[in-house]
Amino acid sequence: MAYWSDQFQRVQSPILRYGFAIASVAVAVAIGLALRAYQFRDVELPVLALVIGLVTWYAGIGPAVLAVLLSTTAFDYLFVEPLYTLYVSASDLPYFLVFVLAAVIVATFSAVRRRIEDNLRHARDRLQIELEQRQEHEAKIRKLNQELNLRAAELAVANKELEAFAYSVSHDLRAPLRHLVGYSELLQKHAPNSLDDKSQRYIQTILESGKRMGNLIDDLLAFSRIGRTESRTTAVDLQQLVKEVVSEIGPQTKGQDISWKIGALPVCYGDRSLLKLVVVNLLSNAVKFSGTRRPAKIEIGSVDGNEDKFEIFVRDNGVGFDMQYVNKLFGVFQRLHRADEFEGTGIGLATVQRIVHRHGGMVRAEGAVDQGATFYFSLPKAELPAKRTANAP
Amino acid sequence: MSELRRILIVEDDPRDVELTLTALDEHKLANEVVITRDGKEALDYLYCREQFASRPEENPAVILLDLKLPKVDGLEVLQQIRSDERLKMIPVVVLTSSHEEKDLLATYQLGVNAYVVKPVDFHEFVNAVKELGMFWAIINQPPPGSAKKVL
Repeated sequence: MAYWSDQFQRVQSPILRYGFAIASVAVAVAIGLALRAYQFRDVELPVLALVIGLVTWYAGIGPAVLAVLLSTTAFDYLFVEPLYTLYVSASDLPYFLVFVLAAVIVATFSAVRRRIEDNLRHARDRLQIELEQRQEHEAKIRKLNQELNLRAAELAVANKELEAFAYSVSHDLRAPLRHLVGYSELLQKHAPNSLDDKSQRYIQTILESGKRMGNLIDDLLAFSRIGRTESRTTAVDLQQLVKEVVSEIGPQTKGQDISWKIGALPVCYGDRSLLKLVVVNLLSNAVKFSGTRRPAKIEIGSVDGNEDKFEIFVRDNGVGFDMQYVNKLFGVFQRLHRADEFEGTGIGLATVQRIVHRHGGMVRAEGAVDQGATFYFSLPKAELPAKRTANAP
Repeated sequence: MSELRRILIVEDDPRDVELTLTALDEHKLANEVVITRDGKEALDYLYCREQFASRPEENPAVILLDLKLPKVDGLEVLQQIRSDERLKMIPVVVLTSSHEEKDLLATYQLGVNAYVVKPVDFHEFVNAVKELGMFWAIINQPPPGSAKKVL
């Protein structure tokens, strides 16, 4: 390939090209003269034609024209009678014209052939470049794939670690806590008379803190489980779900005067148990934070957001919150109220957000201090994801 | 309630053992309890090996099995019990700290009879252990060949 390439590499410098033309004609003339000296007649014409072809091939059209002119002149001067004059007799004219014509034809063929060769070479070069680019791309893709695999492996490892961490928390953190609470309880029972009121209160505090810690761990584990468990998606009738939750948390409202208002709610698409957790958390919050109201008003309804999503809201007339802290509402263990005002671990809304995000929805909240709060979450409509599952493998 | 059947507890943590025994004792269920401190000891007991070589022949009426155990863990003990012709009928109750889904799956796949998470709250813990003791040592009819004591 390299040989082929070198063989047909055209000379670039114009001086060299024209020089080559002149030198070639000179050599051809010399050969013709030398051969004539040895009595070989009429050889100079093919030699000159050959030289013109060569010049056309290696040096291009310009030098070829020069070579044709030079060789015609030299031929006339050196080989055509009368010798050593540029005179062309009428009888020699056809012979002369034949030579020029032959030279032009040779040059033309050579030039055409050259052009074809050039085109071929260019085509080959282009292909070569394309091939290289393709190989480069392939290498790039391979590299990206490798990186992706590596990243996936890293993620899998991180996930495993996280799982092991949660497992360990679940097993190992609860045991000492259980002992703490258990033995405090035993102490309280064992020595009720030897402990004064202060000591009793201390033990009570230990017990309460232990239980609180237990709740925190349980909530945190439940929260981490949302991300780890597979969700089972079905059509969920939110109206029915909300009614179910309301009747379930009814007994926990401790005779609180609540007026429930449940609007028309759509059927959505998602994991029923996870969506129930969302509703339970939001309704429990509404009940909790409107505990001081007589009556507490809790409204659940839906807004048709846009074509593929709708928004559900839960509104209460409770203590509300300062909009300044709205971005803290959905954080893990973020609380806007002191523990002695309202109990809770601060994970409910984080759970809500996580579940809604997992369903491809959004959460937001509106409120004002002492003027109630409204929590919104959006969910994809039932028909659309149903289509999506039809395409899913 | 004419008889109290033997309970085998497999638990490595001495505090958990004490709390469990306290809970059983409160309801007069503790006198037919055998404690083993890891999976190997539990299997030694079940196969009458080493320090249990001279124990009475009968199988316990129920095994309260912790999952995280030194040497041989709870899952392996359960697997061994379920794959042995002489032991596979013994009711096994997992009594553990966690309710991780993979533990639930694994134990139920191995044919556990019940899965109980030890509550952090002591009253709940006592209640859970009491219920377990009442049910398995008194109410439930164990498979033939289980140890019993006539009261």
